[in-house]
Amino acid sequence: MKPFAYVNAANEKEALAALAQAARGKILPIAGGMDLLAMMKDYIAQPDRIVNVKGLDQTIAATSDGGLRIGAGVRLAELAEHPVARRQYPALTDSAAEVGTPQIRNVGTVGGNLTQRPRCWYFRNEEFDCLKKGGSRCFAVDGENQYHAIFGNGPCYIVHPSSLAIPLIAYGAKFRVAAASGEKTVDASEFFVTPDKNVQVENVLNASELVTQVTLPPPGQTRSAVYEVRFKQSHDWPLAMAVVVLAMAGDRTVQRARVVMGAVAPVPWRSAEAEQALSGKTISEETASAAADAAVKDARPMTENGYKVQIARTAVKRAILKAAGLPVPAFTV
Amino acid sequence: MAKWPSSPELLGKRIPRLDGPAKTNGAAKYSYDIQRPGMLFGRILRSPHAHARVKSIDLSAAEKAPGVKAALAVIEISPDSKVMYQGDEVAAVAAETEEQARDAARLIKVDYEVLPHLATVEQAMRAEAPRVFKEGNVREANAQEEGDLEAGFKAAAHIVEGVYSTQVQTHNSLETHGCVCEWEGDKLTAWVSTQAVHGTREGFATGLKIPQTNVRVITDYMGGGFGSKFGPDVQGLVCARLAQKAARPVKLMLDRKEEHLATGNRPSAFAKVRAGVSADGKLTAFDAETWGTGGAGAGAGFNPLPYTTYVWPARRRRHRDVYINAGAQRAFRAPGHPQASFITEVVMDELADKAGLDPLELRMRNLPPEAPNAMWSKYFPMAAEKIGWTKRHKTGDPAAGPIKRGLGCAANRWGGAGNPKTQAHCDIFADGSVVMKIGTQDIGTGTRTMVGVITAETFGLPLQAVKVEIGDSNHPFAPGSGGSVTVGSISPPVRHAAENALAAIAAKVAPALGGADPATIVASKGRVHVQSDPSKGMTWKEACKLLGTETISVDGTWQKELATVGTSGVQFSEVEVDIETGVTKVKKIVCVQDTGLILDRLTAESQCYGGIIMGIGFALFEHRILDRNTAKMVNPNMEWYLLPGPSDIPEIDVTIVDQPDRGVVGLGEPPTISTASAIANAVANAIGVRIRSLPITPERVLAALQQDKRGGTL
Amino acid sequence: MDRRDFLKTVSAGGIAAGVITPADAEAQTGGRALGPGAVPIRLNINGRTHTLEVEPRVTLLDAARDRLGLTGLKRVCDRGTCGACTMIIDGRTVYSCSSLAIEAQGKTIRTVEGLAPAGSLHPVQQAFCNHDALMCGFCTPGFVMAAVALGEKNPKPTREEACQALDGNICRCGTYVKLLAAVMDPKGGVRG
Repeated sequence: MKPFAYVNAANEKEALAALAQAARGKILPIAGGMDLLAMMKDYIAQPDRIVNVKGLDQTIAATSDGGLRIGAGVRLAELAEHPVARRQYPALTDSAAEVGTPQIRNVGTVGGNLTQRPRCWYFRNEEFDCLKKGGSRCFAVDGENQYHAIFGNGPCYIVHPSSLAIPLIAYGAKFRVAAASGEKTVDASEFFVTPDKNVQVENVLNASELVTQVTLPPPGQTRSAVYEVRFKQSHDWPLAMAVVVLAMAGDRTVQRARVVMGAVAPVPWRSAEAEQALSGKTISEETASAAADAAVKDARPMTENGYKVQIARTAVKRAILKAAGLPVPAFTV
Repeated sequence: MAKWPSSPELLGKRIPRLDGPAKTNGAAKYSYDIQRPGMLFGRILRSPHAHARVKSIDLSAAEKAPGVKAALAVIEISPDSKVMYQGDEVAAVAAETEEQARDAARLIKVDYEVLPHLATVEQAMRAEAPRVFKEGNVREANAQEEGDLEAGFKAAAHIVEGVYSTQVQTHNSLETHGCVCEWEGDKLTAWVSTQAVHGTREGFATGLKIPQTNVRVITDYMGGGFGSKFGPDVQGLVCARLAQKAARPVKLMLDRKEEHLATGNRPSAFAKVRAGVSADGKLTAFDAETWGTGGAGAGAGFNPLPYTTYVWPARRRRHRDVYINAGAQRAFRAPGHPQASFITEVVMDELADKAGLDPLELRMRNLPPEAPNAMWSKYFPMAAEKIGWTKRHKTGDPAAGPIKRGLGCAANRWGGAGNPKTQAHCDIFADGSVVMKIGTQDIGTGTRTMVGVITAETFGLPLQAVKVEIGDSNHPFAPGSGGSVTVGSISPPVRHAAENALAAIAAKVAPALGGADPATIVASKGRVHVQSDPSKGMTWKEACKLLGTETISVDGTWQKELATVGTSGVQFSEVEVDIETGVTKVKKIVCVQDTGLILDRLTAESQCYGGIIMGIGFALFEHRILDRNTAKMVNPNMEWYLLPGPSDIPEIDVTIVDQPDRGVVGLGEPPTISTASAIANAVANAIGVRIRSLPITPERVLAALQQDKRGGTL
Repeated sequence: MDRRDFLKTVSAGGIAAGVITPADAEAQTGGRALGPGAVPIRLNINGRTHTLEVEPRVTLLDAARDRLGLTGLKRVCDRGTCGACTMIIDGRTVYSCSSLAIEAQGKTIRTVEGLAPAGSLHPVQQAFCNHDALMCGFCTPGFVMAAVALGEKNPKPTREEACQALDGNICRCGTYVKLLAAVMDPKGGVRG
């Protein structure tokens, strides 16, 4: 880790002020610190100054329309256990409960989870001067890409790392983005940017901005679920995950669906095809299967990650079944 | 003649280890925890390139950096100076704080000329591959052949052919390699995380060109080695040289990345096998071309192949070592055996399938004659019963749904002969206190406790009443803790030293007991007494008081009859595989394992659990992944180098078979040999398709299923 | 002497206890940048206040181990994966290798050294010993901390809950079976 100066911002205002003059990469916010400190230890991030933003909003509160507002400073462990959030947005709280380990969830924040950097091993190892670090090539293209993207057009093939982003997009959340100069609201679905737009960042934030709050619309008549496939049942990253939110017309028929996949593309990957396939249908093994097929129809795997197509397909199918309250295959306990 | 007690008080009981409290409350000081007055921190600069000529090393900026007290080049510059793998040592610094040492190491300027490299065995074996290694990238080893191969294949009714492989596994000892070095004049004291205090003393002396008498190596506690920690290594010698240069103690512990890159690994193994079985289920022939890589500068032999738990009348094996630009292999828990076991046991199951035989039956028909160290014909049925082998379906779970279940089995064997040069020393003082000293080390196996148990048993004292001193090269010689030789090496001289000490006590006590024959005097339950008449005796303290100003100070030597050689065991596995995700979950492992006379049943069990869990890692998760284009490791951490965690652990049913009459024999290695083999066979039994490569990742499972649909097999 | 001068004049070897007042620690909030050189900090560890001087980049683990001699918890992966450095901060388990010492001020920090008075063991530690839930012992203090935190939150965990609570820790010797037995021991472990 390079030496750096530390600013302990007591609240949002101080945090934003401290970030106001930030040049990209030179002043960075720290909340839980899990991601940032690891990057700094590996010399991937080398800020001159870091700003403690743990003083951001740490509350979860109902909105007047029956939705929920979640402060960016809320810890993942608290979100996972929040009774209202669990009732209204189970895919979000289940996703939060699956992040990392207890120790990570005890310090990791909602804002940090959304803005963490990708885990791509070429990005994370100093020896590889990859596109994301300002280099001239993506090492994954003809390298070890078994965990890389099966969707997207490059030129960088990271998979999006935030497990919360997937349900938040599926539920139609909005992010409050603030800077010293003012604030704005950004749709979760518009927040993340693909590498063909800007390969060195993963979202719309400039260096002075922070996500300070997340607002979820009222759930209405929805059923929702997340299904995550990971190899190690202890600590591991998902090979693929899917969140399905079904707006129901009556008890059985899907009026509208949202299907978003994680760990398969550089950004959370929404499948209009799968959503279309579910619209107006009654959920069954067959309709879930057809929607899952639709979800991965346009997948374009790399040299080593064709297997992820099947895994993403399974994640979508099982998320649909789970959301509909139908049985999902599972290992015996 | 030395012998073990026939009705022991302690031996074989479930005895919590002596150092449990110190390890659970943080009081135990590992080398990593040693702090010396004025201590500096060392840091090594390593090559970022897989292969490069080192043209110059400029230390000047580092030397001027804040806190720096010493800097040195590890590589001497000559036209031939090269780094051969990412992580190869180049230079080093020592500074007041660890942060300063890291900063300074990055200021060292190295001029590299990057050279062509080899990242994979396939690249190294190509005819047009650059000749990176002077003696060749590929080197033939001696061929091994026994029996009439041609006749064997002629006698075969069924033949299996395939290519099998296992991956490179890194040791990942939790305490990284490293040490603290401190000079007093020309004498070096080194606190080293090592499996061999004596071997490491010799390594320092040779490396630094100083007499062994000037080196003391201390390893009070150490955080795992698994075969990778037998000497000072480059980092130890660098640490000593930095300490000398700075005239201050230096701590130099590697970080996790360095640990993956440069401190050893289990080499990969590849085998192109042809094997046959007769119509009546007798193995006839095994022919293998094998190769593998131990990285840069080390071979990749894996023996024995075919694995010798089955009888092959004819066998041949031709091996080539392949060199690539990666960190060199080292001994790793049962070197060669898990690889050879995997290849052999998977071939066994494939032969059974071809012959239409139950794989257990095929094994039972081809075992060598039963012997105390070859008890598979007893253990296979025992373990089969425990796992419920009768419920095993034929290859391919016919049940509906994507979760498929399967069972598999495999056998293991190991030597573990004690080192006859091992010695121990025992002191008994007039106040009744006892100390047993031996220059062994406890690498987590429970060695400290075993020394205490044998000593306490011999003196009829509670375990807490004896002091054990180990982990110091000033103590009597004991070998490195590898090859499962520790218990067989140290137990006899400890027992012998204790017996000799007891004889000396008996000689003191005899006159006070009315001239009893010292040979009839024994110690038990805190008393020293005539064996036939416990009332004729006195307490241990009273007996020791008779020493007056004297101290009993005696040695013990290795006694052949107290130790034995050879263990055998079997393992069965039950798995579930989700064929829609490719994820394998191990549900249960049954282990039946012998280990001669058991000293501490608790720690013996722990060795079995531990070996099995490491085997689960080898079967499913662990894989050193080098980028194929740059030969740089992409997963040098504990995040993408997957290690089993709590939720990955199945039910494990361990049965340890007592063989008290055989004497002691080591158990560290055998339980890890056959786990991956049993799991691989269970996976095939579940999904109906063979996976011939480890680790069994979702990628491999799904690819195998996909391939199977196209009519082939991986 | 103003604060800037104070920072300049403190010795490299640390400063005497009592030099930093609580007001000093509080003064570290606000928009002012501290460091990159060494900064005086106060840490409340195991009920004792420690004053020390570290650069902002020093982790809580390294501060405890290298500066305060609290070497019970280990540095293994140093990237928040293995759990060997687990401390309990304000009641929650935290990877101290991935926390900055400067950010741990004002919090109640517990390390493995503080679980039981000298000469005695916490019931979790005792259960670990009884079950042989340790081998080389390098992961053990971290597992003890995770198990203690579990017990304080959920004294009667199911096996699955126990596994999940410990999933942030890794043991290489493979003590998991006995670890879980220790944690689930009805007569000890986390129920103690």
